[in-house]
Amino acid sequence: MGAALLAFFFAFPFVYTAGNYDYIMHICIVGFFYAILASSWSMLAGYAGQFSFGHMAFMGLGAYTAALFCHYFFISPEPTGICTEFALGSNYLIIKNPIGVTSTTLTQDCLAQAMEKWDGAVTVSRMPVWLGVILGTLVGGIFGLLIGLLVLRLRAAYLALFTLGFSEILRATISAEIQITRGQAGIELPSLFENGITIAGHFFAKTDKIPPYFVMFFLLLGCLAILYWLSRSRFGLFVRALREDQDAAAALGVNTTRYKILVFVITSMMAASAGAVQAHYVTIITPNNLMILQMSLVVAMAVIAGVENFVAAAIGAILIEFTLEMLRTSFNIGGVEIDMTLWRLVFFGMVLMLTLRFARNGLLVPVIDYFSRGHVAAETVVRRKQSESSDGVGTAPGGQGGSS
Amino acid sequence: MIELEVARLNKRFGGNHVLKDVSFEIKGAEMIGLIGPNGAGKTTLTNVLDGAVKPNSGTVYLNGKRIDQLPPFEIAKTGLGRTFQVTRSFRRMTVLENLYVPALALGKSHTGNEVKEQALEVLEFLTMEHLRNEYARALSGGQQKLLELGRLLMLDPDIIILDEPFAGVHPKLMEVIYDYIRRVNSRGKAMIIISHQMDSIFALCERLLVLNYGDLIADDTPEAVKNDPVVIEAYLGTTEDRSETGQNDAAGTTK
Repeated sequence: MGAALLAFFFAFPFVYTAGNYDYIMHICIVGFFYAILASSWSMLAGYAGQFSFGHMAFMGLGAYTAALFCHYFFISPEPTGICTEFALGSNYLIIKNPIGVTSTTLTQDCLAQAMEKWDGAVTVSRMPVWLGVILGTLVGGIFGLLIGLLVLRLRAAYLALFTLGFSEILRATISAEIQITRGQAGIELPSLFENGITIAGHFFAKTDKIPPYFVMFFLLLGCLAILYWLSRSRFGLFVRALREDQDAAAALGVNTTRYKILVFVITSMMAASAGAVQAHYVTIITPNNLMILQMSLVVAMAVIAGVENFVAAAIGAILIEFTLEMLRTSFNIGGVEIDMTLWRLVFFGMVLMLTLRFARNGLLVPVIDYFSRGHVAAETVVRRKQSESSDGVGTAPGGQGGSS
Repeated sequence: MIELEVARLNKRFGGNHVLKDVSFEIKGAEMIGLIGPNGAGKTTLTNVLDGAVKPNSGTVYLNGKRIDQLPPFEIAKTGLGRTFQVTRSFRRMTVLENLYVPALALGKSHTGNEVKEQALEVLEFLTMEHLRNEYARALSGGQQKLLELGRLLMLDPDIIILDEPFAGVHPKLMEVIYDYIRRVNSRGKAMIIISHQMDSIFALCERLLVLNYGDLIADDTPEAVKNDPVVIEAYLGTTEDRSETGQNDAAGTTK
């Protein structure tokens, strides 16, 4: 099933011909973005039991780090003499002064002034996009470490409230620091491939969807591969033990502090990397991306699909993103216009409520469990029968339970 | 040889002095009962020994290593394991996964067959091998208690503290648990059993520690403890207390 899904998404951009190509590709890219967030949040909340509402804040940290890096840092062969600058070999690292949201015709930043003075004689380069993405990922990890350390003693609702507070503080800070972050106006970023890219002899312009599609897809695959590896390692076992009972896990020799922090760092880095790439794809980041509504969307995607399975969370995120987009089409009943751009969210909320009420394991996890654990029940029955026939006594002391 | 030295342990929670200069030693694979009325400090003592709670003063040495300031996971690795008053199995993990946790925490490789074989041996010992792939939440209360014991066998500590191992267990299963405890003890493990069920304590233990409001008031054989007037008073109150509540003097009925 996994191989079929992989093959489908690999082939999709090349075989899809049904119209609205760019729009459908865009939904895929955004779907992959949410899949990274939902699957990494699934590791954090579903596997490790750390119900953090700060995941979009880490996404925002990655995005804003990449944005600020591209916005303020440049490489120039000549010193400006008016900006903060450092020699880097034969070039200079230029740090532009923040001027906030001001018309450039009224106030120019130091680099713009220098460029005007040079009158095209000097070519100034932006910092590489990939470097901003890496920096954003690292900053996400550093903040993940800090938050992980701060919430060590917090559990359940206290942890949720703490991370919610962190997220809102970050959003408010970004909104307030207009001079540096441009506040609600947001910061524009260069595209992932600002000058286009040639792959296998084919040139893709910066607005082409195929390059960002595969960048986000490979980022998702990378995150899923790491999550898979972690879930199959002692890390996965220990964080699940942490979720079940932190004290019992510690009493059995598990360094709960280490694994609690590690799971925050790793999942924060994933969210931050997704944020950085997404910001370069849409070429703008605003504080609205950090709103609690966005976090709720990620949580709902993971919960509806199955929060305790990161693969289900990823697939669910893509499916839900598609469904939400497809439901945008408004229609008319008896002359009454049904505006689905709003009603689709009602539909989404109802699915979430029904899932929580009737399928707490999510809608996709039972399907995955059916294929992956179907043998367990049969095996247990066979072994119990063997045990009964061999000793004539029956099962283990205490009898067969079913306490839940 | 196993050696646990507890010296002048004190623990206060605000103004509540829960452990008062508690001292005792364990040498070898002893089977010890830790008893006392509710609020005596039994669970606090267990939590201090296991590292979940730090003492205000006093020391604990396990096999020559000071452990009273170590975190719980290091104490577990040093050789002291415990179960909990209320069973705390990892409910949404399979029986095998429950057993893997302590083994992997000790640093054993998860890729080879060593841990799986060890876990299957433990399950065979507990006659639970047919449940290996079941989620722990699907087990009965008694099976979950055995699973907790199984996890400790995987941890392989020198000293095992069982906190209320018979609570809520059917009398028939209790006999089975006695047998497992004796067999684990015969493997060279020192056992501390905390229980309010005196019949079980007297059936299993060769030595009793009695706590009363944080004081260790007796450390002797079950027979001696049974006839110790200080212990009788702690359990039944003074003659004046009993006359006030209409109770008769009947130490033999202490259960």
